[in-house]
Amino acid sequence: MTRVTTTWTRHGTTSEALGALAAEGATGALSGERGIVYLSAGRVVHVESAFTPDLGALLTRSGAVPPDGWWDAVDRGGAQHRVGHRLVDSGRLTAGALEVCHLGALFDAAYFVLTHDTRAQRFRSGAVHWLGAVRSVPVEVVVRESGRRRALLDRIWPDPAIDTLPLARVPGTDTAELPVRRGRTLTQVDGVRTAAEIASALACRTYHTLVELRRLAADGLVRAEPPTAPPLPPGPEPRAVVWDDPDTALLRRLRDALEAL
Amino acid sequence: MANLETSLKECLSSIDGATAVALVDYTSGMALGTLGGGKDFNLEVAAAGNTDVVRSKLRTMEHLGLKEEIEDILITLSSQYHMIRLLKGRGGNGLFLYLVLDAGRANLAMARHQLRRIEGELEV
Repeated sequence: MTRVTTTWTRHGTTSEALGALAAEGATGALSGERGIVYLSAGRVVHVESAFTPDLGALLTRSGAVPPDGWWDAVDRGGAQHRVGHRLVDSGRLTAGALEVCHLGALFDAAYFVLTHDTRAQRFRSGAVHWLGAVRSVPVEVVVRESGRRRALLDRIWPDPAIDTLPLARVPGTDTAELPVRRGRTLTQVDGVRTAAEIASALACRTYHTLVELRRLAADGLVRAEPPTAPPLPPGPEPRAVVWDDPDTALLRRLRDALEAL
Repeated sequence: MANLETSLKECLSSIDGATAVALVDYTSGMALGTLGGGKDFNLEVAAAGNTDVVRSKLRTMEHLGLKEEIEDILITLSSQYHMIRLLKGRGGNGLFLYLVLDAGRANLAMARHQLRRIEGELEV
């Protein structure tokens, strides 16, 4: 049974609204400007944001799970909210490895939802994520960790635009002496892709990628492109996503599913 | 099938002398899971602090141009061993297992061997 809860609406930020829902032991999905936080009995079970590659992208791009295997698990387990279990039961992944990847994706998405901590838009009581139960984390841990990550990133280079805007190389700079990981990240900076797309291309966790990108920005090698970019050429445009829609993540998944058919 | 919790439990139950264990993300310093420790040994603090050890060693290796990967780091105290084992594998990138051992009861060679096996259960 789900209770109708409205106390979260009295709070001015997503993190405060989450605190109120946690105190009530609520189950459902809270939509913020930059993503959706799924709660079960007041604990965070999943977070998704259009600014980070989701668990499926991380697992398939890294080659850990073949795309067929991922979609098979989504097909067979999606309706019962048991995709995670399906992956483990089919022997494609150990339960421990799934939990580690899931937590990585959860905290990556939470960083974006909670760093841009505006008023939460709506709460769908009783909503359950199709991935199913993998691991849960207390709301306060998620909020604290997101704040800590923001502070760590700002200490490297205090420009949050690096996290979300398309990134470009600064012309005429010397890139010969870069450490391996930073150099690898720089090769993906092409004036079009955002941090999330670079993380996805490298099959790397978004936060790790953000650390390297902010270091590159601090070194004067990378900068965020101003939002008034020239119009994209006609044809399939990856940036046609409406970023401020609360269900962007759902639309993205739908698009991915259609493309995969 | 081992999940994170059972893998950490296995570290404490199957490795002689093990008193505490944590799985830590060394880019952020966050512990994804901890077990053992207690009042006189704050595992969260140890996890965050040892992140600096790992990062510093990785940076030094980059400066030296060493292309090899760190398998483990051993810190020897008078009564304890602290063992840090970096997870390899595609999705486990950026994680390490941190194991505290009682020096009087531990068998280092065995502990390394066991930890390697348990690590395999967490890798993608």
